[in-house]
Amino acid sequence: MTMFHFFNCAILTFGPHAVYYSATTLSEYDTFGTSVKAALVYLGTVLVKLVCLATFLQVSENDGFDPYQELLKVLIGFIDVAGLYFALTQLTHRNISQIHKFQAVGLGWAFADSVLHRLAPLWVGAKGLEFTWDYILQGLEANANLVLSISLAALGSLIWLRKNKPKTLIPVIYACAGIVATMPSITSYLRRGLGWHFPEVVGFELFTSLVMAFFSWQLFSACQRPSA
Amino acid sequence: MMLSKNSGRGHRGLQESMYSVISLLFILVACVELCDAAAAIDVYRLIQYDMSGSAFGSRFAALNHHAASLHFPPGADLSRTVLIIPLRELNITFVRDYINQKKLLGGLLFLLPEIFNPGNGGNKQVHEREKLKNVLAELERLLIHANLPYPVYFAFENNEIDTVLADIKKNDATGQPATATTGGYKLVIPTPEPKKVASPTITNIQGWLSGLKADGDMNQLPTIAIVASYDTFGAAPALSMGSDSNGSGIVALLEIARLFSLLYSNPKTRGRYNLLFGLTSGGPYNYNGTQKWLRSFDQRLRESIDYAICLNSIGSWYNELWIHVSKPPDNAYIKQIFEGFLNVAEELDIKVGLKHKKINISNPRVAWEHEQFSRLRVTGATLSQIPVAPELLESTGGLFDSRQFVNETAITRGVKLVAESFARHIYGHQGKNVKIFADGGSLAVNPAYVQSWLDLLSRTPRVAPFLSKNDPFVMALKKELADHTDEVNLQHEILEGMFTFYDSTSATLNIYQVASVAFDLVLLLVLGSYLIVLFCFLVITTRGLDDLISLFRRPHSRKVKTA
Repeated sequence: MTMFHFFNCAILTFGPHAVYYSATTLSEYDTFGTSVKAALVYLGTVLVKLVCLATFLQVSENDGFDPYQELLKVLIGFIDVAGLYFALTQLTHRNISQIHKFQAVGLGWAFADSVLHRLAPLWVGAKGLEFTWDYILQGLEANANLVLSISLAALGSLIWLRKNKPKTLIPVIYACAGIVATMPSITSYLRRGLGWHFPEVVGFELFTSLVMAFFSWQLFSACQRPSA
Repeated sequence: MMLSKNSGRGHRGLQESMYSVISLLFILVACVELCDAAAAIDVYRLIQYDMSGSAFGSRFAALNHHAASLHFPPGADLSRTVLIIPLRELNITFVRDYINQKKLLGGLLFLLPEIFNPGNGGNKQVHEREKLKNVLAELERLLIHANLPYPVYFAFENNEIDTVLADIKKNDATGQPATATTGGYKLVIPTPEPKKVASPTITNIQGWLSGLKADGDMNQLPTIAIVASYDTFGAAPALSMGSDSNGSGIVALLEIARLFSLLYSNPKTRGRYNLLFGLTSGGPYNYNGTQKWLRSFDQRLRESIDYAICLNSIGSWYNELWIHVSKPPDNAYIKQIFEGFLNVAEELDIKVGLKHKKINISNPRVAWEHEQFSRLRVTGATLSQIPVAPELLESTGGLFDSRQFVNETAITRGVKLVAESFARHIYGHQGKNVKIFADGGSLAVNPAYVQSWLDLLSRTPRVAPFLSKNDPFVMALKKELADHTDEVNLQHEILEGMFTFYDSTSATLNIYQVASVAFDLVLLLVLGSYLIVLFCFLVITTRGLDDLISLFRRPHSRKVKTA
């Protein structure tokens, strides 16, 4: 019965990635290699972040919100952005259009994030007899993360790959990208500084991911119109 | 061609080793099982024993069932549920009916109030304490003499289990019993099956204080013996501290030993009597240990014993004590002993009564410890607050016999009574109003000594089959007696006869909150439909509605193509 629960949470956490790949045009253009490369880049980014965190961050006794530590974490979070930049621009992809490139990179990024952060707790925890809502909430968080990663990849590709953008939209693009990039810090502030509980944080993440996805979709299609 | 074949085989070899590594990893990871229970509490099992071949107590130890409270829907099948019953809500007739009708249960868990916890004080009101004590005593009596083919455990109330029980009551109130399909709480105790305790040992400790032999006197000095049995028997062997039965007796014996060792340390005040102190085991089992101890005596020693006083439960009386004898009251020796006690008692404002109970040699039941002395023709008497002879396995220090109900002043007064009576007999001051152990003097009874030993005894479970030969408590008693006497001996015997005991007296209970199978199925349905909706949404937004419809029309169109 508890393997059943593990199976349920696993399909909630990893199912959307597979569905996204097969449902959209990504499967037709065989962009699997791109996703795999993006996942490996994510792995490298996480290792670099770990080393930086270990070197620069102090372990605080209480679980409160320390502004300086959080600022440091935000700065280290920008390594994420650097990694995404590397994945989008520096890797040699097959000749695929920009739409598919950012989707494949975002998908690979999000999948690697889910596997690294959520698979181990799921395997160890969801198999036990004790029932908690945590793993279902974690799965929902993985879904929100998928949407956020794809939006960030879209905005990133707009910033770095598209050369001719309407001048008025450039600050908007950068603002949205900034918000999406600092999402982890915002959620940790909510959890520690304001003391929100896990379900509320997950709800907030889902809501903002949908909002940001809508914005980035609008921005992407707006930037696409002149070149079309 | 050859090269590619070799490289292909090499590839396959690499793949195979990779698969084996991955599968090994999976096996390793599958073995990881962390404890993530909602609560883990210490529980103590009901005693399991055989008496003359009949089985008594709880016959099982392992538990893995759903929990229910007393508010279960009537008519529900409880053969795979554990009933959690707090002592405060206990209805003894309900439990008695359940046991008498031999109804099958998954298990029983009794929650005891904190005041019975040995490590805890508790300042409850007197009325409630007495009521709870009586209920617990009755429950213990019921459980000890019943044969229960399911695990029965005792636990102390604390915050965790109180919240769990409140939750279970709420669930039960909705009318659904907790089973695998409706969710709820699962109680798991993973212990192996209980095994017989092989060759349980009983250890008798004796201390000898020699009297002063006059020069040229070749005769054996007379001896006075004072005995108390130190082991207990109760519903939960890990919780049978027996503060009154017989912790009070042990403490009194140790204090008397201390006082007389002070007197005897000075040759000028050493009496012309030997003093024999006996801490015997096997008390609840017809004083088996006392019998073996006496049988091991030299005939001369046994004949030299003037009389023996056995102490049994002198910790919670107010103004009346009883001296129980088996020789008729008009016997000269008995008269002498009783009058000696009576004189001292009058001065100490204590009422002492004499009770006579004849011994039936053919009956193996030994109700008082002095009866073992009488059976070997040694004059003996038992000093106790209990007016009537207890039944087998009654007043043997069970769960309800906890520290709160014992009064140190009662023990101190008892010590004074016995010590003064002994002293008057030894020094020949019968009838004279001389107080040797007066308060305030150097030979005063030490209340701190009494209290500290009583506290220690109230924290130590002392059921004989579960005390090993070198148990630290037995060694502590031996050392204490050695401090106060000239010579200490241990006698190890095997507890034989009609009793057989089984181990597994305590365990850890894990309480898990489980979801029902229905919940998992519903969740699977919801997730499946979510993924399908997501799939359709993505197909529609990226490829268009026609593509979605074509996905379902593909076999049809293929047929058209081939035709």
